[in-house]
Amino acid sequence: MWLDEDVPIRKRDLFLEKPFLNAPGILGFAPDPHTMPFLRELGAFVTLPISRSPRQPAATRTCLPFPGGFLLHTGWPNPGIRHAIARYQRAWAEADLPVIVHLLGESPGMVADMVRRLEGLENIMAVELGLPLGCSPSALVAYLDAASGELPVVISLPPDDLPLLLETLVEQQPAAVHLQPPRGTLPNTTGTLVSGRLYGPATFPLALQALLHWADSGLRLIAGGGIFAQVEAQALLDSGAFAVELDAVLWQIDAQKIFNQSTRK
Amino acid sequence: MECKLLEVAQIGLSNVGILDLPPYACLKPGQYLPCQKPGENLSANLFRVFNGSDPRLSLAPLPQSWQPGDHLTYALPHGRGFSLPATARRIGLLTFTQTPLRLLSLVQPALSQNAAISLFCKTPIHCDILTRLPTSVEVASLSSLKENLGWPDILFVDICHQETEALLQFLGERQFSFEGQVLVRTAMPCRGIGACSVCAIKTRHGWRQACTDGPVFPLKDLLHVAG
Repeated sequence: MWLDEDVPIRKRDLFLEKPFLNAPGILGFAPDPHTMPFLRELGAFVTLPISRSPRQPAATRTCLPFPGGFLLHTGWPNPGIRHAIARYQRAWAEADLPVIVHLLGESPGMVADMVRRLEGLENIMAVELGLPLGCSPSALVAYLDAASGELPVVISLPPDDLPLLLETLVEQQPAAVHLQPPRGTLPNTTGTLVSGRLYGPATFPLALQALLHWADSGLRLIAGGGIFAQVEAQALLDSGAFAVELDAVLWQIDAQKIFNQSTRK
Repeated sequence: MECKLLEVAQIGLSNVGILDLPPYACLKPGQYLPCQKPGENLSANLFRVFNGSDPRLSLAPLPQSWQPGDHLTYALPHGRGFSLPATARRIGLLTFTQTPLRLLSLVQPALSQNAAISLFCKTPIHCDILTRLPTSVEVASLSSLKENLGWPDILFVDICHQETEALLQFLGERQFSFEGQVLVRTAMPCRGIGACSVCAIKTRHGWRQACTDGPVFPLKDLLHVAG
């Protein structure tokens, strides 16, 4: 269903059997069928962001609810690429769905090293590269050069960065571009301002608006943010999304419910 | 799985509820039960709490918006709870809060094994709790624990994650003759599914997630760890 017969197939293209992915940071480092009964509904599993060196949790890590969602700030703690591969490569290889490893783009050199370590591992479908905030077009080219190899590369960026990078992205044609959920800032319980990722239904209109704005850009867009009903996921797909990322809905106790709702035809 | 909220009461600063849970959903003190009202963005993690002489399973903290009659979805109990050794005869409970309802859920099991219980608190306990507390439970200040560190066989502690440093300062780096278990209260939004690390706790074995490795940790794993 997701193959377009008019478009030539390239080695570094990304193909998903189902149009749903989990957002990075939502389902941990490896799929676990015991705690994630909805895995069979996903086209691929996206890992928590992994950096070259280990990262510790942020001192101000927090979850701050607000009407319409919640803000999450963690600092992306992870064991680093070497330990992550040692710990999770077996789970990745044995998973029933392909795995996309999300890499934190700290520098092109580090990205090149991480991608080389992932190449050749079983069941790795692609790498998703999270660009640093305010990435310039020349830096984007350097990151894409560093990441290019045997695996398709998905670029993950905030929609606000797209105008500056659009021309370069259209030229470079990564396997897909993932439009990240918005960021925000809230005061915590002591009044300190904390910035982080926003999740929850309030972010869905922003995701749909961003997708509609860039749907004709010539890029394969992965959209997501705030989807809590299948009609919302379908709206993104109908609006031109190549795939849809599910985030906080997968933390609901009855997360499976979103896949059981009738799809709008 | 679905259940219904039968009753809501306020004890101290906390909303306490009784749900029509099946018997197999039994919750040890210190474990948590993820529970969610349809339409809410995150599950509430409910703990077994002390509710005076009421023998029914009482859970808290309930979100303010929940009302009796609400239909809820719940998951089976999560996390590692308190473990009360059958041989413990002198039990210390240590809290920095006014409403240590989660910690006091150990009172009935401890009394049923004829243990002496002392509740050591930093701030005066809320009168709602004091009136419900069995007379056999002694209430004392933190300083009396410091003067009698040889008394307890086991010490159960209830702190929020920002208070770990205060606990370390209070207990210092001395060696104790007693075993200790610490319930660390922190947000656990992903319930272990996402390894989101909002609930990450620094232990002497490295960073651990309260949602899956806790929320009750051995005291010795938290001592001698800065930050």
